[in-house]
Amino acid sequence: MSGFPSTEFALELVRESDSLFVRVTGDLDYDTCDELVDGITEHLTGDGTPPRCVRLDFDGLTHIDSSGLSALLLVHRRAGALGATLHLDNRPDFLERMLHITNVLDHLTGPPPGSRSGRSAG
Amino acid sequence: MLVVDRHGGLVRINEAARLLLPDAASGDWLHERVPPWLSDAHRRICDGLSDAGSGPPTGRIRDRFLEAHPTTGDDGDVVWWLVDETDRRFAETALLDVRARSEILAEVSGALLSTLNAGRCMEMAASMATEHLAEAAVLVAPPQGRRHPLTFARRGGPVTQTVRQVDVSAVPGLAEALQGFPPVPARWIDPADLPDWVVPEGFTSPVGSVIVTPLPGHGVPAGALILLRSGTERAFSESEEVFARLFAARAGAALSAARLYTEQAAITTTLMRELLPPALHHVHGVEYAGGYRASKDHERVGGDFYDVHPSADPSGETLVVLGDVAGKGLDAAVLTGKIRNTLHALLPLAEDHRRILNLLNGALLSSHHTRFATLVLVSVLNRDGRTRLRLTSAGHLPPLLARADGTVEEVATRGTLVGALPTVEARTVETVLAPGETCLLYTDGIVEARGGPLGDDFLGTERLKRALAECAGMQAEAVVERIQMLAAQWIREGRHDDMAVVAITAPRASSHAGDEESGRNGWRNT
Amino acid sequence: MRQATATDTVVERLWRAAVEGDEPAAASVVHEALDAGVPEETLLLDVLARVQARVGVEWAADRITVAQEHAVTAINERIVASLAHRRTGGGTAPFRGRVTVSCVDGEWHAFPARLVAEVLSLHGWRVDYLGAQTPTPHLVAHLHQSNPDAVLLSGSIPTHLPAAHAAITACQAVGVPVLAGGRAFGPDGRYARTLCADRWAPDARGALAVLDGGVARPNASAGRQAVDDLPHLADQEYTMVVRSRHRLVKQTLADLEDRFPPMRAYDDLQRERTAEDIAHIVDFLATSLYVDDPELFTTFLVWTADVLGVRGVPARFLVASLDVLAEQLRDFPRTMRAIERGAAALGAHAVRTGSGSGSGS
Repeated sequence: MSGFPSTEFALELVRESDSLFVRVTGDLDYDTCDELVDGITEHLTGDGTPPRCVRLDFDGLTHIDSSGLSALLLVHRRAGALGATLHLDNRPDFLERMLHITNVLDHLTGPPPGSRSGRSAG
Repeated sequence: MLVVDRHGGLVRINEAARLLLPDAASGDWLHERVPPWLSDAHRRICDGLSDAGSGPPTGRIRDRFLEAHPTTGDDGDVVWWLVDETDRRFAETALLDVRARSEILAEVSGALLSTLNAGRCMEMAASMATEHLAEAAVLVAPPQGRRHPLTFARRGGPVTQTVRQVDVSAVPGLAEALQGFPPVPARWIDPADLPDWVVPEGFTSPVGSVIVTPLPGHGVPAGALILLRSGTERAFSESEEVFARLFAARAGAALSAARLYTEQAAITTTLMRELLPPALHHVHGVEYAGGYRASKDHERVGGDFYDVHPSADPSGETLVVLGDVAGKGLDAAVLTGKIRNTLHALLPLAEDHRRILNLLNGALLSSHHTRFATLVLVSVLNRDGRTRLRLTSAGHLPPLLARADGTVEEVATRGTLVGALPTVEARTVETVLAPGETCLLYTDGIVEARGGPLGDDFLGTERLKRALAECAGMQAEAVVERIQMLAAQWIREGRHDDMAVVAITAPRASSHAGDEESGRNGWRNT
Repeated sequence: MRQATATDTVVERLWRAAVEGDEPAAASVVHEALDAGVPEETLLLDVLARVQARVGVEWAADRITVAQEHAVTAINERIVASLAHRRTGGGTAPFRGRVTVSCVDGEWHAFPARLVAEVLSLHGWRVDYLGAQTPTPHLVAHLHQSNPDAVLLSGSIPTHLPAAHAAITACQAVGVPVLAGGRAFGPDGRYARTLCADRWAPDARGALAVLDGGVARPNASAGRQAVDDLPHLADQEYTMVVRSRHRLVKQTLADLEDRFPPMRAYDDLQRERTAEDIAHIVDFLATSLYVDDPELFTTFLVWTADVLGVRGVPARFLVASLDVLAEQLRDFPRTMRAIERGAAALGAHAVRTGSGSGSGS
């Protein structure tokens, strides 16, 4: 009786050459954020060369809470450590507003820290 | 076998019957030799009143239990065959006892397990022991320091509880029972050896029989139970001793669970004390009020927090903090504790919000996770009737100002969240509250509360602003109550995040002249 | 008589200061009366309680705003706290026992419970006051820790009765008797009996008398469930209405456009208010099914008709809402009876007050 019908959370991960495409559907929140982190981490650290670019598509995102944002920051950190850049595509208004208020958009989508030296070494 | 004529005279009596009725002889009147149940049955047969369907008459003769089967002869004499049913009857009674006892034990367990309060549990155990086992019961709990909690019960009397230093070794078998050794058989205990403290007040007759039985607990004994019967009652039988042991096992299990719960609850209370939101008071002529509701209703703490740090003297700034840690429940609450402590230590630097935020950011950064906090800092200074605010948001929702004219403003402060990025950027905004105006700090749990009459809408910033617009001129407590009620009625039984609100209100001018003086009455709890 | 007149004056002065939001003035009215020798209990029950009761009346009549309602309540709360503060250490009444005072889960109106708590304290009871909106699990955890002689459960809004029932059953299951009080339980306490509370009291003085007489502990091993107390719940009508609450509100809102023409001109805010009104109707309907008393529903409707009336909403709105609800709930006989009784009561009320609902717009 309690609660409300929240959209089923779903992740769709596709690797295409240099890029990892991630479609996020539903609520990215306290209950679902681990799934995002684990799913992407698996693709980053799995066999083969890590992607240079992780593109998150938020077209189907219905809601995000602070745990969801924390997950994005963690994904950014892990991707950055491997020299990959994060892209947040099709951001709904509420995500835009949250990124604005928390002042992390530039950080999340900027070049990975030390990327230049990392790339030249590889 | 007896043969009796129709007038009730004994005609013949065989060897077996003579063992049962040694004084009886031929020619005696039946009713003078046997109990009425048999002589009456004989008369009914001779009067032609048949007892068809009711089975043979049964009853006792001396210590035996008999069934009497009549056979009527042609001459009117009745041959009574007496069948000894004593053993079968005994077995049946024992069975009934067992059934009654298991019912009692089920009831005892049900009642005792219903409470997790150790005191109440001991009270009920002692009381039920007097109901089902003995005239009086004393429950001796393991010592707290040197003293034992004691529970006394007397059948039909009140239960009393005290904590006393008593000599447990004076009661035969008690010290052993409290150490978990098997009980000493009741017949070994001489009631005359009992010290006075064991006998409950109002138990006047001398003690005739005693059981001392351990209350087995979770590995360690939960105490011991002393059962008393007066000399005028029959002594405890062996089967009653067994029953007392079963009773004690149930009571011990329930009591141990209650003690375990009490200990856990005490630990939780101690640990949580620091994490609970503080009660806010009015400080240096400015009203502060806060309200908090954890995301899960059975939890008291969560990821939202607020504090008001009054300046040492009225000429200084009071620092107000409200924030939100990503996550929920105890994990989040522990992080709020860390933030609140760190900010407390940074209070001397409160003049420079950005510096505080960067120091806090450094303290929170972790290579293991990106759990961040968002927060608002507000420095409040009340001077010459003007309440000046300096507000800085670190990734938090903008504070709202309820102006006296009924408009609501968003404060245009903005900054980076704390604890996930290397540095924090933030812009501080200043404003002034006129009397009756309120600055509202709130967490996203309020605006993201989902519900409403149609069930699936967000409360949203617009509704919050609309409600706040009606709050001009209200005291801080009233504003907080209004906003909390709005959110609670919006979500009803629905799921929700942690929700916190703090109101900073410049008091309205009073028509009451003796404002300063009234502090004497204690109504202004600054 | 003189005492009563003096009290009336204090009530009037306090009301005027509180409704103005002037806390210092309001507080001094009460503290001056205390200094002048008016007993604290009289101030609590014959002054503050009356001022608080007036809040509801004045709001219903649209003479004060919601904000003023909160303001007066906050001032009253702070005055009660200041009285308690002043009393600290002065308690001379002999210790009577320990009780817990709590509001029903979801109940925001804490002031009546607060008054009861203070009056009991004055008379030597050790009171744990848990306040408004107490989740039932918190209440039960508190009972395990404190083992009180009784719980005093306060409810003001009848729609919290199902939650009250859960709390009553939970308290009794741990062997603590429940004394119910507050408007939610009906003027004669009938719903306290329906929900098998151990006792009921109409007010703080009544609660004190009940406690002084002693309240027996319930049989904790009985293990009752809601349906044991209320066998009519087995027909599932209550469950049905509660579970489909949002759908009922949506559908009613949509269908009302046809039945109640003024709605077509409503803006978003007015529509939301209307949705809230309909949600209230559904909530009270469900509660009346829970306690199996249509009168709970009719009382609410008649009260709402007055509240809406003074705010310019014609009584036809309620009648039309009931019509639409009835169409959706046709298959539920107990529900239909409540709705029919409600419509009849509204009709009779309209005749009584002359606010004819049949006459054209």
